[in-house]
Amino acid sequence: MVAGIVIPSRRSMGTRIDALREEIVDLLPRLRRFARTLARNPQDADDLVQTAVERALARADQLRAGAAPAAWLFGIVRHAWIDEVRARRRRERVLAPQELAESVADRTSGTEADFLAVEDAMARLPEEQRTAVALVLIEGLSYKEAAEAMNVPIGTLTSRLARGREALQSFLAEPIGAPR
Amino acid sequence: MIVSDEMLMAYLDGELDGENRAAVERAMAADTEVAARIARHRALREKLRAAYGPILEEPVPEQLIDAVRTSHVDPARAKVIPLRAFRAPAVPRWSAREWSALAASLIVGALVSALALRSLNGTPVESMDGRLIARGTLARALTNELASRPKAGAPVAIGITFLSKSGDYCRTFTLAGREAIAGLACRDHDAWQIETLTRSEAAAASGGAYRLAASPIPRPILDAVSAAMAGEPLDASAEAAARTRTWTRP
Repeated sequence: MVAGIVIPSRRSMGTRIDALREEIVDLLPRLRRFARTLARNPQDADDLVQTAVERALARADQLRAGAAPAAWLFGIVRHAWIDEVRARRRRERVLAPQELAESVADRTSGTEADFLAVEDAMARLPEEQRTAVALVLIEGLSYKEAAEAMNVPIGTLTSRLARGREALQSFLAEPIGAPR
Repeated sequence: MIVSDEMLMAYLDGELDGENRAAVERAMAADTEVAARIARHRALREKLRAAYGPILEEPVPEQLIDAVRTSHVDPARAKVIPLRAFRAPAVPRWSAREWSALAASLIVGALVSALALRSLNGTPVESMDGRLIARGTLARALTNELASRPKAGAPVAIGITFLSKSGDYCRTFTLAGREAIAGLACRDHDAWQIETLTRSEAAAASGGAYRLAASPIPRPILDAVSAAMAGEPLDASAEAAARTRTWTRP
């Protein structure tokens, strides 16, 4: 048994990290938006983004040289969310509440109502379909990038995407206030 | 031509090559049913983008930008052994029986009272639901300090950090004082649970001028570490990375 085998390391950080930081700053609006499809509460979504960017920087070496960081970062946000949901379940010993709908009561403008209807429909999708829809339809990632972010084969991604689309179509076709 | 739904979606998502794209467009022109399906899918995408689009226009909180610009990056990370290699199948936490055996041999009660008398910004250890939980200075040090960057004169010194067989991060520590106390704490949800505590003659002898490399970890703590550890202790970069994740596994 050897005690305290911890050796400080002081290599310089290099410019690659600084370039990555700036790329991440540029991606923040999209990361926040993606996080909002996972955690509906805006504060939770921003916390999620913060956790994810810190993780990303802590393991910046996992980003292959020359690879675009977007898909990698979306994948880290998704993982952070899955961890968060698990942690909540552990803490609460129950399923994480879907956080549905207190806000639905004060629908003010038409735009807001549309947003809430879409958000509700998204929230009803299983996480894997919702993520596929968010990455491809909202964020505009290619199938290849989205599959990479979700760590699944392209065929799995496209079938989740197809099921997610169909489910959304049917949810959004329901009259407002229809029983679920 | 029959256009499968899959192909139609791929068309909309910009995933078709020129030939297939042209085929879908011909079908769309010739068949109103195909055109209607495409319009339906396109409308869904527009709805989603219209709903979530405005989020892009929101100002990004400064806190997030700061996190990106200043968050700690460990340059030696590339050399880290993947933590996954340390993961072992989940096993139950130490049983109450093992805990009692430990408690009996270590006179935990006396130690806790001794700890409570110290003014380390409050009691460093608190009993909760039959478990001992790190509090105050000790909890903060376990969460924030790196053994690779020891602070001279700090009230708590961190020794080894490792992943336990049940997959939690554990760290050994020494509380400085006339009679130093050493222990092992493991992350349990959001707290540090004290697994083992003992008096540390060796650390006491060094007069609180604690230096990691020079400070032997007391035998009972080492034994507890051996029993709990899966794999090897974390190196400096893995330790820093674990801290960045606030002691959740990658």
